[in-house]
Amino acid sequence: MFGKIGDSMLISGRIFALGMLIAIWIFVLVSMEQAKKKIPTFRKMAGLDAIPEMVGRAAEMNKPIHFTTGLGDLTSTVAPQLVAGLSVLGYVSELAAKAGAKVIYSVYQAQVMPIATEIMKDAYVRAGKPEEFDVETQIRYLSGEQFAYASAVQGIAERERPAANIMIGPFYAESMLFSETFFRIGAIQLAGTARGYQIPFFAVVCDYLLIAEEIYAAGAYLSKDPIQVGSIRGQDVGKMIAIILIVLGVIALAAGSKIVLDLLKA
Amino acid sequence: MREKRGFWSRLEDIPREVLYGLLLIAFIIPMIKPIGFPVPVSPETQKWYDTIDKLPAGSVIMIDFGYSGGGEPELGPMAVAVYHHIFKRGGLKAIAMSTSIEGPLLWDKAMAEVNPSQYGAQYGVDYIHIGYIAGTETAMAAVGKDLRATTSTDYKGNPLDQYPIMEGIKDASSFDLLIVFTTGGDQSEGWVRQWVTPYKTPYLCSVLAMMKPTMLPYQKAGQIIALTSGAQAGEMEYLVKVPARGIKSADVMTLTHLLIVVYVIVGNIAYYGKKYSGG
Amino acid sequence: MSLLIRRQIPIALVFITALLIMMDYFLKLPPLDARGVSWTSPVVKDLQNWGVILTAFALGFGAVNLFILHSRHISRRTVKQWPFSVWLLLMIILFTVVGVSYGATSPEYSWLYNSSYFALSATVYSSLGFYMTSGIYRALRARNVDAVILLVTGGIALLKNAPAVAVNAPFVVSIDSWLNAIPTTSAMRGIMISAALGAIALGIRTMTGKETGFLGRLTEAEKGG
Repeated sequence: MFGKIGDSMLISGRIFALGMLIAIWIFVLVSMEQAKKKIPTFRKMAGLDAIPEMVGRAAEMNKPIHFTTGLGDLTSTVAPQLVAGLSVLGYVSELAAKAGAKVIYSVYQAQVMPIATEIMKDAYVRAGKPEEFDVETQIRYLSGEQFAYASAVQGIAERERPAANIMIGPFYAESMLFSETFFRIGAIQLAGTARGYQIPFFAVVCDYLLIAEEIYAAGAYLSKDPIQVGSIRGQDVGKMIAIILIVLGVIALAAGSKIVLDLLKA
Repeated sequence: MREKRGFWSRLEDIPREVLYGLLLIAFIIPMIKPIGFPVPVSPETQKWYDTIDKLPAGSVIMIDFGYSGGGEPELGPMAVAVYHHIFKRGGLKAIAMSTSIEGPLLWDKAMAEVNPSQYGAQYGVDYIHIGYIAGTETAMAAVGKDLRATTSTDYKGNPLDQYPIMEGIKDASSFDLLIVFTTGGDQSEGWVRQWVTPYKTPYLCSVLAMMKPTMLPYQKAGQIIALTSGAQAGEMEYLVKVPARGIKSADVMTLTHLLIVVYVIVGNIAYYGKKYSGG
Repeated sequence: MSLLIRRQIPIALVFITALLIMMDYFLKLPPLDARGVSWTSPVVKDLQNWGVILTAFALGFGAVNLFILHSRHISRRTVKQWPFSVWLLLMIILFTVVGVSYGATSPEYSWLYNSSYFALSATVYSSLGFYMTSGIYRALRARNVDAVILLVTGGIALLKNAPAVAVNAPFVVSIDSWLNAIPTTSAMRGIMISAALGAIALGIRTMTGKETGFLGRLTEAEKGG
């Protein structure tokens, strides 16, 4: 009877994915618990470590810091990248408020504006300078059309000459337009995206780059919160399982067996 | 006082205006006076062509006109060439939808270029556009599950039931082939998740040239039958024997790519010249 | 504002919504309707519709922000900015009037769209070719081993994409095909897998309320609580 209920509830082709999701969930939760006792060490992320220097430089030069989270919206598959970008926005805003530099956040997705307002307002409160936050000039909704948004960001670069440009989120064809324009005006740049299409463009132009999973880890890395940091270890266990499955799959296929392939398709 | 820069140093930092100016000339010359460089047909374009050519008569094709206005110069010629092929081949039903809001407008533009009536193809009988369906992956999933529940009209707002082409079309299982033209990775990858995986619909995908590397894993995994970029439109036009913008742009591509190779060589000569001459 | 309203309620909403969407994707939970659709499907569809409605509301919020910001530029005559602000507001008004009067699928609106935004959008996208050129000119320099690898592979890709070269030097196509099939595909798979795992871990942290960066960071006092 149990078997029948189970069969009817599971959707063929998604069973293995569900199993993996549950397994990774458990690894992440266990790692977060373990991190309460002992914080795991992990490699340095140069891009994120450079943020205080970028903010300091902007404050010294009396120029703004430009921040954007790219395209995509909160209900699409790229939403996690957007959330990852917003996690960094709070950190940058707090540092900038303390240093006396202005952050300009260019927005493509109107639905992000209330969230960004809350994040930046909080950051200025934490920095003890709530009165310095000006929502209208610091959070700018530019356009929901890709190239109108891209042109507007380029316009901000040319007119206001930010000293630093931080781009974390889902980026599309505008990535090269942004990175080249900000390079030309001499801005120090940090870019991060999980969209494989755009990584090469950022890699050749920007000073610092966060690749794929690194942007998701950014919030945890910057928070220095042991529980959040612990979750990164959990995701690494998931990566190990992926590697083991790849190796087993290759061996099985070479031996003429499709067992691993069938398992993945289950 | 301004420091005097050496030859190699100046060569290394050629003003972008010069780089752009020469590139612009390389763009314009073949547009005004086509050179007629040969166009090679790659295996993937040939595979795409053969897939459509070998479809049984009466096959139904779902076409996502999912590119944006910005991507039209690259993907438009490919879409036009593929429509020429579908109509030339005959006996196929082409049902288009758009996951990009600009899709219906661009589809109109493409149809004006194709002129389906020259092949005797009629709107509503041989081809149709069922409009922009919002939601990207949600839209793909919804159309796959129940097309009529997702939209009941074509892009002009007329009821689908009045068109003979829509007879018997219910869901993804009603389609024999999926063709996607898109400038968005969410679309090109989304169709794999929402149609290819659950319904095993054969999938032909055309994207921007720079998107191809990211889509390759899907092709290697057999989820995409043929993957082309808009830059290969000339190849498709050659196969379909309807020379147009694609073949013309092949000359442009040859000249501009070679010019960039020259830039790279000059840049490296300047770099080493500066390094070994001290400025 | 209390911690309950600022943190706990939003986190609970995120948890319930995400769980429902995941359940709908992975499971067919009874009771099923006559078409065999799980009870979660209409709920998720409603949630997605709410998302669309909220997005539409947010667009209004965005438009207000645009008007305030650019009206300020105009009234202060911001150098290098205010004429563009005037033009922007005029275009917003023009598109709104034509769209509301004739409809967004009317020939009038299409003409306006095709002759302004479509042309400009294609131009901005095409300008990418120039930006890439200057980027390549600077980046493809044989400075070290990594750069040499980038230079060689980039050079092969450039030559392969020049149709006349590909015809006369088929070995370039073969090398490019190998580069695409083996190193590029492997690297892209690696990036895809690790990005997916990273997104899952972020999702878990967000759902369980451990990562609150998207709500603003926790203050020390809140962390302590």
